[in-house]
Amino acid sequence: MASRVRILCDVDLRNPGENAMPDFRARVFGYHAKERGECRFLPVLEPIPIFKDLTNCELAAIERILHQREYSTDEVVFRQGEPGMGMYIIQSGKVIVMTEPEGVTLAELGDGEFFGEASLLSEAPRSATVIAKAPTRLLGFFQSDLYALIERNPRLGLKIVIRLAMFLGERLKSVNQQVRDLTEKLRQAKQG
Amino acid sequence: MAADRPHGPKELLPLAILCVFVLLLLFRGGAEKIVFSAVLLSYILTPVVSALESRGIGRGIATFLVLGAIVGFIVMAGIFMVPTFLEQIRALQSSVTSAKASASIQEIQEGIRAYLQPLGLGNIDLFEKAGNAKRQFGERVFEFLVKDALALLVAGVAILFMMFFLMKDGRDLKKGFIELVPNRYFEFVMDLLYKMDVQLGNFLRCQFTDALVFGILSSLAMWILGVPYFLFIGAFAGLANLIPYVGPIAGVLPAFALSVLNSGTFSSGLHVIIAFIILKIIDDFLVQPFLISRGIGLHPLYVLVAILIGGGLFGILGMLLAAPAAGFLKVAFRESLVTYRKYRFS
Repeated sequence: MASRVRILCDVDLRNPGENAMPDFRARVFGYHAKERGECRFLPVLEPIPIFKDLTNCELAAIERILHQREYSTDEVVFRQGEPGMGMYIIQSGKVIVMTEPEGVTLAELGDGEFFGEASLLSEAPRSATVIAKAPTRLLGFFQSDLYALIERNPRLGLKIVIRLAMFLGERLKSVNQQVRDLTEKLRQAKQG
Repeated sequence: MAADRPHGPKELLPLAILCVFVLLLLFRGGAEKIVFSAVLLSYILTPVVSALESRGIGRGIATFLVLGAIVGFIVMAGIFMVPTFLEQIRALQSSVTSAKASASIQEIQEGIRAYLQPLGLGNIDLFEKAGNAKRQFGERVFEFLVKDALALLVAGVAILFMMFFLMKDGRDLKKGFIELVPNRYFEFVMDLLYKMDVQLGNFLRCQFTDALVFGILSSLAMWILGVPYFLFIGAFAGLANLIPYVGPIAGVLPAFALSVLNSGTFSSGLHVIIAFIILKIIDDFLVQPFLISRGIGLHPLYVLVAILIGGGLFGILGMLLAAPAAGFLKVAFRESLVTYRKYRFS
């Protein structure tokens, strides 16, 4: 049974028009069109590093647990110090990442970029405040949904967690390098 | 925005059907018990569906399999156990007037007349009371078979129907609800729902697993002691065990009464009491510690008040659901407060 379902999913992925189940089965047994490999957010999700190399079928499963939210200009997405619940992907629009209370803008992010990914693995407080700077549409991917996904589909969950760990590892390396560079600069400045 | 929303009208069809169904039942009256039961059972069984889903089975099919197994079990139990159960009820009725039972009743009556005369119980006629109880019991059984069995069947089908959609589309329903929450409170609500889900889910599943284990153990113990109607006693004791503090005592009473009436001696009743004490010790020290996260730290007084309120509002079902409902309110209140403090809404 299990392999048959997987095969159906994979076959549909390659030939979405073929092997489509009768509509009544889709209605009653919950095989939505997107589970057959049709992902509406595909262009947004595909380039995200933690979803790298996922099949359309797997991306469609991710899409089902994403929360689409709309923010108006200057609306707060989350504030520094609040519990981290998960990451956001910018479907369209623009946000700024800033520290509080200094109000220093750390980054400006636009279409296809993402933020808050560390919160997928840790509930540590948010390290910065994020505010929409234009009408913005975000896709939220949350820790609780990731845990539920790991329980339901461990293979997919594991793929995402490994990609996430690799991504955070890369980011850590990059931050270490920056710290080394800044330390060196500081040392030179002190000597100079 | 509307065109891009994750849930199209077709996907909301089950929700619409569910709403219509619920509304129809509300007009019929007594629907709250059906809705509560469906929500509770689907909540408890959802992990089983998810476990099947983790093995690659589609959610719809997994739900269908779980409900199919339940229906299959009920049908099999009906085929094999209903005749036995009815026979046991008939035997129970006749045993009230058997020679052994008469001797027990006579003994109890003499004891009451001798020792409780100052309380105005000197002229008590237990035979008349036993006869009345037997007649009322017979009338109740007949009334149930004629009137309530059909209603129970309809309620059972309604519960299964609701459970199917709640288990299959529960995630989408939750997601649909979260979509309605304003942006600023969105993460807070997600956080709160997740924490409540973890705590309550564990609590409810452990409660029901414990009730099941206790019911099986009680049936086994009564069977070993040679007490008749052991299935009836075990099922009752298991269900009664869901009601904290009061339940275990309530579970012993019918077993004690049936044992004494059947054997005509108090010693058999004493054996039943000792067996239930041992079962309770096993339950408290072996079963419950194994089923971790059973407790959610409710004060006994709150639980007793909740049982009284639940019983007053919804009868036996209310008493059964009182502790989970009190647990839900406590977790909801505590987590709301704790989580709210972490957010900066002002």
